[in-house]
Amino acid sequence: MAVKAFSDDWAKQFKDEVNKSSAYKAAGKGWKWTVGLVVEAEPDKHFPESRGLVMDLFDGDARDIRVGSAGDAQKCDFVITAPYTRWKQVATKELDATKGMLQGKLKLKGDLPTIVRYTKASQELTECTTRVPTEWPDES
Amino acid sequence: MHDAGTDRMARRKLKTSAKRTRLVEYADKEPSAFAEMLGGLIGANVLANPNKQQDFDALKARVGIWVTDIDEGVTLVFDAGRLTLHNGLEPGRTITIRAEAETVMSLSNLKIGVFGLPVYYDGVGRGVALKLLQGKLKIDGMISNVPTLNRVTRIFSVL
Repeated sequence: MAVKAFSDDWAKQFKDEVNKSSAYKAAGKGWKWTVGLVVEAEPDKHFPESRGLVMDLFDGDARDIRVGSAGDAQKCDFVITAPYTRWKQVATKELDATKGMLQGKLKLKGDLPTIVRYTKASQELTECTTRVPTEWPDES
Repeated sequence: MHDAGTDRMARRKLKTSAKRTRLVEYADKEPSAFAEMLGGLIGANVLANPNKQQDFDALKARVGIWVTDIDEGVTLVFDAGRLTLHNGLEPGRTITIRAEAETVMSLSNLKIGVFGLPVYYDGVGRGVALKLLQGKLKIDGMISNVPTLNRVTRIFSVL
């Protein structure tokens, strides 16, 4: 059943998808940092308030993924920020996250050598978002 | 140890690169996201690793990188301990690398082996070599500038 984008249920299903992924388990080995995704508000898309997704990823596992405020996500070791529409493009495979970062469509904050070392892991995380059946607020 | 049930998370300390701006400069008033990312990556790499610093201090070259699937590129002007990044491809380049975004990123994941040479026999190295053979990774100026290319690869590598 589809869940509302970036809701608690969405975060739970996303976490399950990450933990089911053998590709992420392998690519994320050695990762020990928190990742925050900031989804910026777009009221005209029926996404009126910014939200944060706080991901506790550790050594190839998702120990916790929860929805919080944008401020919560900004406290993480790595922070990726983009408006709602961009994240929707990533989750629907319209936008490749690596390309998005190189183009500045997704803004990354954090130690670059570390994130580059884990490019495969971040690509697989993106893949996991595409597997969550999602109800998009601008489509309902 | 981290307890998943609390908000407290114990982590390895991330290295920061406060002096980065002294090593890396941007020629354009508004550097592209790609230029900033490469500049940030190289600055952090060099500050964290004395071997890379040595390569950086010795390197004099103009290196172009064109990302074919986003139609964006940069020119990196290495000048013996200083790097200036230009948006787009500038004339007089020593080496020009053309590849898709994913391949460009994988160049940073090449391991450096004995004698400081990039490793082309592990998974990432084989992937890069295959892209070269398939023409999906093009390096203009490679044949006549192998030592420079190796030095650039060492500076790029995050491993």
